[in-house]
Amino acid sequence: MNAVRDVAGRYGIQMVILGLLICVLLVIAPDFVGENAAFAVLERLVPLGIITAGIAATMIIGELDLSVASMAAMSGASAIVLGGQGLGLVPLVALLTVGGLLVGAAQGWMVARAGISSLVLTVGTLILFRGVAWLVTDGVPVSLTNYAMTDPLLGRLGVLSPLSITALVVIAVIGVVLSRTRPGKEMYAVGGARQEALAAGVPLARPVVLAFAISGGCGALAGALSSLRSASATPDGFTTMLLLAVAAALVGGIGLRGGRGGMVNVLFGVAITATLAAGLASMGVKSYVSELVTGVLLLAVVAVDAGVTWLARRRELAEHRRTLTGPLPRRTALTHEPVSPVGS
Amino acid sequence: MTALAAPSERMGTATRRARGTAVVARFALPLLILLVVGVAAVTTPGFAEPTNFRAILINTAITGIAAVGMTAITLSGNFFSLGIGPTVILSGCLFLASADRFGAVLPAVLVTLAVVLLLGVVQAGVVAAGLDPIITTLAFGTIVYGVVAVRTGGEVVTAGATQITGLATTTVLGLPLPVVVFIGLTLLTTYLLQHTVVGRQMGLVGLNRDTARTSGISVLLTTTAAFAIMSVGAALAGIFSAAQLRQMQANDLPTLTMDIIAAVLVGGAAVAGGEASPARSALGALLLVTLSNVMLLQGLEPGVRVFCVGVVVVLLVLVLHLVRKAGAR
Repeated sequence: MNAVRDVAGRYGIQMVILGLLICVLLVIAPDFVGENAAFAVLERLVPLGIITAGIAATMIIGELDLSVASMAAMSGASAIVLGGQGLGLVPLVALLTVGGLLVGAAQGWMVARAGISSLVLTVGTLILFRGVAWLVTDGVPVSLTNYAMTDPLLGRLGVLSPLSITALVVIAVIGVVLSRTRPGKEMYAVGGARQEALAAGVPLARPVVLAFAISGGCGALAGALSSLRSASATPDGFTTMLLLAVAAALVGGIGLRGGRGGMVNVLFGVAITATLAAGLASMGVKSYVSELVTGVLLLAVVAVDAGVTWLARRRELAEHRRTLTGPLPRRTALTHEPVSPVGS
Repeated sequence: MTALAAPSERMGTATRRARGTAVVARFALPLLILLVVGVAAVTTPGFAEPTNFRAILINTAITGIAAVGMTAITLSGNFFSLGIGPTVILSGCLFLASADRFGAVLPAVLVTLAVVLLLGVVQAGVVAAGLDPIITTLAFGTIVYGVVAVRTGGEVVTAGATQITGLATTTVLGLPLPVVVFIGLTLLTTYLLQHTVVGRQMGLVGLNRDTARTSGISVLLTTTAAFAIMSVGAALAGIFSAAQLRQMQANDLPTLTMDIIAAVLVGGAAVAGGEASPARSALGALLLVTLSNVMLLQGLEPGVRVFCVGVVVVLLVLVLHLVRKAGAR
């Protein structure tokens, strides 16, 4: 019973939004039902779900990795260009993911050690990674010549596919790391109250490096898988992914100021935004319209969040005022007692 | 004697070092531009010609005008607007469409300025209410892009029979109008930010929002002023861009937002707020365009050019950031 209440309290808003969204879509998009609809939503876990998991990791420590979409573009372009080199599918994806992890870890190290604001650094690397994508593709769309290579990615098992299973496994692993391991808990400590965490002896470098490594690895994995699925990549790909991933994370309930939310929130956020996008796509609506709706949703969620913070602050202030004015008689009584034996 | 001299000596080196870093932060960019121009003039045929310098200035004008406007946002502690690219496209499309309807340039310019200013003021209100500026401008940018795409249906917008190219080709003192406006706007914004009460208050809010608020500075007023300056920059950039291209569509200028932010960052603005100079942002835009120009004349591939600009941005941003931290210590 308590567990039910706990889940409802933690994810209640997301459940209501998702339920309402599905009801609305059932009415306005009659084609969007059953196994095909579920498959269409789950296919959006690559790249959206993986990228959201990555950016959420940096949001949990109170930073923001703006470069994650460019990382996906860089890795996607590299995957297509390297795809013709005779490397197997799994080694190729693994290689790129490890590369992304290392680059991300380097970013985290710079944020933690050199004290560079993550916004400054990742805006810079956003431009740099985009430049690498241009360098790798020479500024033109590239496509895979060896089509047989990506066949294993295109299978379908009921509502799942190898891609969506990979995404779910990755998100589950990150979830376990966050909630069950020491570095994961340090991430929450650093994000929730950095000064207090540092004073309590939490090393700053380890959780920050871990968070940016997760983000870099997720960006690279999502970009590689997504580009291999379509067997092509453009240097300008994934530009809208930053908005969609940030929106999914915030809608899911990841706190922008850090320390709040987990991978279940990521799954809810991705489920809501992906259902919205897939539902609208099934009605033949252009992708920029669903981005527009996502933008409005994002603004609404941030506004609600700000409103809740404001209310909590007011309540806290009122509480303070009450404690200050409330027990006055006892304080006046105290002043009659001698404060110290020395006295004046 | 030594006991007295030691601290003052230490203080001497400290102030000298602080002054040294200040000099680096202030003059690094102009010196770097001079270096690039000097090296390019010697090594690159076709670079040191009046027509090429003119082309560099014209190319800088659009990004530069928007970057100068963006500097106000950064100064006021609101990081940057991730929605400035779509806003520039909106003002370009709006300018072309209203020029077509009114049949004249001036009313179209005024309508565009008014709409973009209104958009900026609305965002300022939302941000001043306590919402995260980056997320807010990202969301607004997407909404603006979506609205432009829906309204135009993804089609190209033109000004019809109205003559608008005059805006881009008129010359004042031998310089094209966009360049003149770029220089004028840089001077005006510098004056506004550094010599008016609101401008100074903007910097104070950027330095320390809570302290500024307790000192009686209106965060709403300063944020509104910052977004208004940014909107004027975005509107002018869109108008001149539309006048140059004579057409515009929702998907134009995909790299604009990042070019503008890169210019501001290369200009050495403190991203957290409190320190930013429109003139240095303008020079930042000039440096990036000059670099691209040199590489183009050297016959480098587009991929290599974008990559090299990215490397330069990251290196400069990191160096300036570390220099500032060392100076503050």
